[in-house]
Amino acid sequence: MAASGSGGAGRADNGYGSQQPRRRKGPGALATTYLVIYNVVMTAGWLVIAVGIVRAYLTKGSYHSLYYSIEKPLKFFQTGALLEILHCAFGIVPSSVVLTAFQVMSRVFLTWAVTHSVKEVQNEDSVLLFVIAWTITEIIRYSFYTFSLLNHLPYLIKWARYTLFIVLYPMGVSGELLTIYAALPFVRQAGLYSISLPNKYNFSFDYYTFLILVMISYIPIFPQLYFHMLHQRRKVLSHTEEHKKSE
Amino acid sequence: MKHYEVEILDAKTRDKLCFLDKVEPNATIAEIKNLFTKSHPQWYPARQSLRLDPKGKSLKDEDVLQNLPVGTTATLYFRDLGAQISWVTVFLTEYAGPLLIYLLFYFRVPFIYGPKYDFTSSKHSVVHLACICHSFHYIKRLLETIFVHRFSHGTMPLRNIFKNCTYYWGFAAWMAYYINHPLYTPPTYGDEQVKLALIIFLFCQLGNFSIHIALRNLRPAGSKTRKIPYPTKNPFTWLFLLVSCPNYTYEVGSWIGFAIMTQCLPVALFSLVGFIQMTIWAKGKHRSYLKEFRDYPPLRSPIIPFLL
Repeated sequence: MAASGSGGAGRADNGYGSQQPRRRKGPGALATTYLVIYNVVMTAGWLVIAVGIVRAYLTKGSYHSLYYSIEKPLKFFQTGALLEILHCAFGIVPSSVVLTAFQVMSRVFLTWAVTHSVKEVQNEDSVLLFVIAWTITEIIRYSFYTFSLLNHLPYLIKWARYTLFIVLYPMGVSGELLTIYAALPFVRQAGLYSISLPNKYNFSFDYYTFLILVMISYIPIFPQLYFHMLHQRRKVLSHTEEHKKSE
Repeated sequence: MKHYEVEILDAKTRDKLCFLDKVEPNATIAEIKNLFTKSHPQWYPARQSLRLDPKGKSLKDEDVLQNLPVGTTATLYFRDLGAQISWVTVFLTEYAGPLLIYLLFYFRVPFIYGPKYDFTSSKHSVVHLACICHSFHYIKRLLETIFVHRFSHGTMPLRNIFKNCTYYWGFAAWMAYYINHPLYTPPTYGDEQVKLALIIFLFCQLGNFSIHIALRNLRPAGSKTRKIPYPTKNPFTWLFLLVSCPNYTYEVGSWIGFAIMTQCLPVALFSLVGFIQMTIWAKGKHRSYLKEFRDYPPLRSPIIPFLL
């Protein structure tokens, strides 16, 4: 017979999930070293992309079709960000695996499954729009992490991270949406990544419809993330203000 | 008899919500919850989580006041679990959906396939068999919910019903669309494949049912006792020798059978997702068993013999 014993606070409840308070351990010395190296490399990588865009612009004299000059480093460093999912999974970074996976996968999706796969959109100005937004955001984000890990975060970087998104985020989203929209007719025409009935696995997938659903999903997701960042901004920047005032 | 005093504070704000005096020492948490509801009727007992420590685990309804590590003035912390819905209601809703939805596709009601297919019937025998199997599966689940299962918890959070129904109804519609499609392609190895799949399916349905009956018999009506399940005379229950949750093992087997029968990728994906979820549940249950019972059979693994 299952005895509940003297204390009532026994085991985890089925319907409500486990409620043990978790003590979060920071990354050890080895993990910290690795993360510093990772974040430095990523900062450098996105700086390379930034420099590449500027040089290409100066060389060509116009801002059209600059994608080709930074195509390879963009693919390399954006895809490299997949490692961040593992960082969360192994607990050396205290973020949610699901949230991080979602964010990284959406970037990787745009890089490979839209821009790379639909060659006809690579000339579009919308590509430049999101590449610039991503580049500035990532340079700031990775240097923010680097300095945080070294416990020496300049206020400027913290301010930049929690302020520039106000413009960069809508800019990036616009670029992304316009690019997907531009890709649609070519996807339809080529039947890209699509499979239709009949086939022996009794399955169908219409990439054109899928892209439209992706675009629609921005409507609920973008405001939530944007307001979350605004909320974080208020918390983080006002907290620093209080610290400064008390000095 | 010395009476207890019980004060109930909000776990987050520490506000004093309720003060009960002259509480019997042998009062249960369930009775205290009922008393609390009197002063705060919007918090019916199912929504209440009472604990000894604001960040600790919930006390159980069966816990008796005088057996708790409290003085004669007990302080309990309250957390609102949010709107609740009964397990029975959730199960009935989430299972009735797939039953009906699949039939809509089977009978090819208008607006699903082209107008020339409305209310037509598939020419493949496996499609009719699949409908029978799918319907049988969900009718079995509905009947088990009403007559067999003895739930540990009365309720779960209300938002679960939306999450669960989306999952079951969504997948049912997705599968049913392809199986009953005018362009459906029957299995590559024909009748042999369907026959084998049907045997697997029926075997696992019987197995799953046998486990549900065995689990029911472990627990007297209206109680919440927990015991180690053991094999009975029914050979299907002998899987308990190797596995903690053979009901899940058989369930995965049933869907694999159905996937082979229909040779339909969405069915295979549904089986995979279900397998992942059931593995998570089985591992949790297995861990609970190990924690609760010193003499738990060491040979058992959570869901797949020797492997998982």
